[in-house]
Amino acid sequence: MSSLVDIPIGPQHPAIKEPINITCYVDGEQVIGAKLRLGYNHRGIEKAGEYQTFIQNLYIAERICGICGIVHAFSLAQATEDIIGKEIPRRADYLRTIGLELNRIHSHLLWLGVAAHEIGFDTLFMYVWRDREMVMDVIEEFTGNRVTYALVTIGGVRRDLPQEKAEKILKVMDVLEEKVKKYKEMCLDERTIRVRCDGVGILRKEDAIALCAVGPTARASGVPFDVRADDPHAAYDEIPFKVVTYDTCDVTARLLVRIDETLESINIIRESIRKMPSGPIRARLPRIVPAGEGVGRTEAPRGEVFHYVRASGSEKPFRWKVRAPSLANFLSVPVMLTSKGDYVVYIADVPIVFASIDPCMSCTDRAVKFVDVSSGKSWVWTFGQIKRIYWRDRS
Amino acid sequence: MTQELTAILGILLFPGLLFFSILGLFFEWIDRKFYAKLQNRVGPLYTGPWGLLQPFADFVKLMSKEDIVPEGADRPVFSSVPVFALTLTFFATLFLPVCGPQGIISFEGDVVVLSVVLTILVILVFLGGFSSASRYSEVGAERSVLQLLGYEIPLVASVLGAAAITVSTGGSLSINGIVEAQRDWWAILGVQALGFAIFLLAAQAELERVPFDIPEAETEIVAGWTTEYSGRKLALLRLARDVELAFLCGLGATLFLGGPQPGPLVPGLGGVIISTMLFVIKSVAVLLLLTIIRAAMSRLRIDQMINFAWKWLVPLSLLQLLLAVVVPLVTA
Repeated sequence: MSSLVDIPIGPQHPAIKEPINITCYVDGEQVIGAKLRLGYNHRGIEKAGEYQTFIQNLYIAERICGICGIVHAFSLAQATEDIIGKEIPRRADYLRTIGLELNRIHSHLLWLGVAAHEIGFDTLFMYVWRDREMVMDVIEEFTGNRVTYALVTIGGVRRDLPQEKAEKILKVMDVLEEKVKKYKEMCLDERTIRVRCDGVGILRKEDAIALCAVGPTARASGVPFDVRADDPHAAYDEIPFKVVTYDTCDVTARLLVRIDETLESINIIRESIRKMPSGPIRARLPRIVPAGEGVGRTEAPRGEVFHYVRASGSEKPFRWKVRAPSLANFLSVPVMLTSKGDYVVYIADVPIVFASIDPCMSCTDRAVKFVDVSSGKSWVWTFGQIKRIYWRDRS
Repeated sequence: MTQELTAILGILLFPGLLFFSILGLFFEWIDRKFYAKLQNRVGPLYTGPWGLLQPFADFVKLMSKEDIVPEGADRPVFSSVPVFALTLTFFATLFLPVCGPQGIISFEGDVVVLSVVLTILVILVFLGGFSSASRYSEVGAERSVLQLLGYEIPLVASVLGAAAITVSTGGSLSINGIVEAQRDWWAILGVQALGFAIFLLAAQAELERVPFDIPEAETEIVAGWTTEYSGRKLALLRLARDVELAFLCGLGATLFLGGPQPGPLVPGLGGVIISTMLFVIKSVAVLLLLTIIRAAMSRLRIDQMINFAWKWLVPLSLLQLLLAVVVPLVTA
């Protein structure tokens, strides 16, 4: 069709907070198809990891994502412990669980605010972010930091949770539960939210399975896939919780999955604090990791995070590979943004549909390819070549 | 000679350009402050007392910024749109009865002229968006015209419905006639309440505010039709938008809340002051309602907006027009 216009969204655009490019092919207001282009945010973190010790890498891993940092530190620690092959204290497992769940609550609330902003509902955005501060404060009390927590270490955690702090967390959880329930009611009752989210961004169950969607994106399409339940780690094997799924497959479903998961997380935290055994919080593990391979996986707020580490018997990893959930979910976006038959996507839907997978570009960009836009030629540079070019330009 | 001098001063200072520029910036401040209050924020705070001078500071800052015209833009049209927009909004404000029962310009049928001016403003928006040769602007321009198709009939119908209040006093299509007819009975207290609600929604659409900020939807098409405007041109456009906000609030207050009534009953300078105060207070009341609408909803999609307009707003506005004409005749 010759009447198609391509509208670029990104890499700089108010709808997306991190650089990515979505090119929408539109006919009037209707989106016919969309194409994603990643790779604007490559930071070479995996390579940097090969030059640092395992302990130092935990702090790099935490900086992979500014929102779900603890998830990456946890997975890397888990992978390292997997190679060493020693159990860690049970109390540390519980403390890690509390950290992971607090992280999930703050991430889901952050997402809810962003989603409200994408559909132009700034009042909800402001309210949700105000209440998110309560979780941030609790996290700061618990770990000492608001954003990069430095809680997890190899063999356990670095900070204990005394009784009075635990009680404070419980108190905040009570207040938060009320608020989140109110927001759920608001999202269900407010007409303008419903008309913007119902039947928008459909990802059918078979598509979700075929495209390997993970996390809330998959669960909103009725796929009950949750690493916490499927492959229990930390203290998830002893804490009962529900895997929230919805089957309307649209943005509303993703909204509700996240809100319900927040409520579920609040319960997990309560249960963990109640069941937490006393004892040491850290096992002393050797600094030099024996040769071998290990994996760590957990359910990040956005879906499954997977860390692979290969050790060569020194204190530095030989190879470290991170697979963040957003990368798996990006594949679903072009499907959601393609009009097909009765299913029509409008330009106005693009921001909320894209936001509904809760994309995190800084987590995702692991590889980079150079493209000459004028000729379309693309190539890959090795690390050595980049270094050479860097020094050539400097001299 | 003195009469001409007073007229010129009236147009330039009060209640003309200067008064409405200040009122527009003041209204923007109220809007922002109240919007922030509704969202549990503080809003503008540092420039002037309670941040009162923030809109003015924004204006001055934009005036001093670099003014860029895109390479592919249709230069004459692109550059003249902000000037025309500001001129037209100022022209419209001259009709408002700020300090007496009639504005600076007043003649039989000026209500119709105002409706025309409001439509021309949207056509300017379309021209501005289309001449800037940007894909975002073009989508925004298209949307603004589509949106106009939705809310124009309700807007005109509610304005004409307000004019129907003059049926009992002999019938008139002028602002003056409408204001005089509300001497002891505000229009909103009767069958006009529905008309007022429709007017509020249509004004919200005309001003491109949530839930009808579709033509400049930030998260979708950057800044819509204003994407390519910068510097002085953007400053003028924003001032025009502020004056339009003040104008539409004033129009709502005039048509449905009695405008400056009962101020003009007091003779002399005291009457002028009381009238102006009443006019501003009533306009602010309309503004607060508009801000509440803005805070309580999310943005609709353009197809949903058109659907809503044609399924609900247009039939309701025709119904209220009918009621507004018939009820006074029956009760008279």
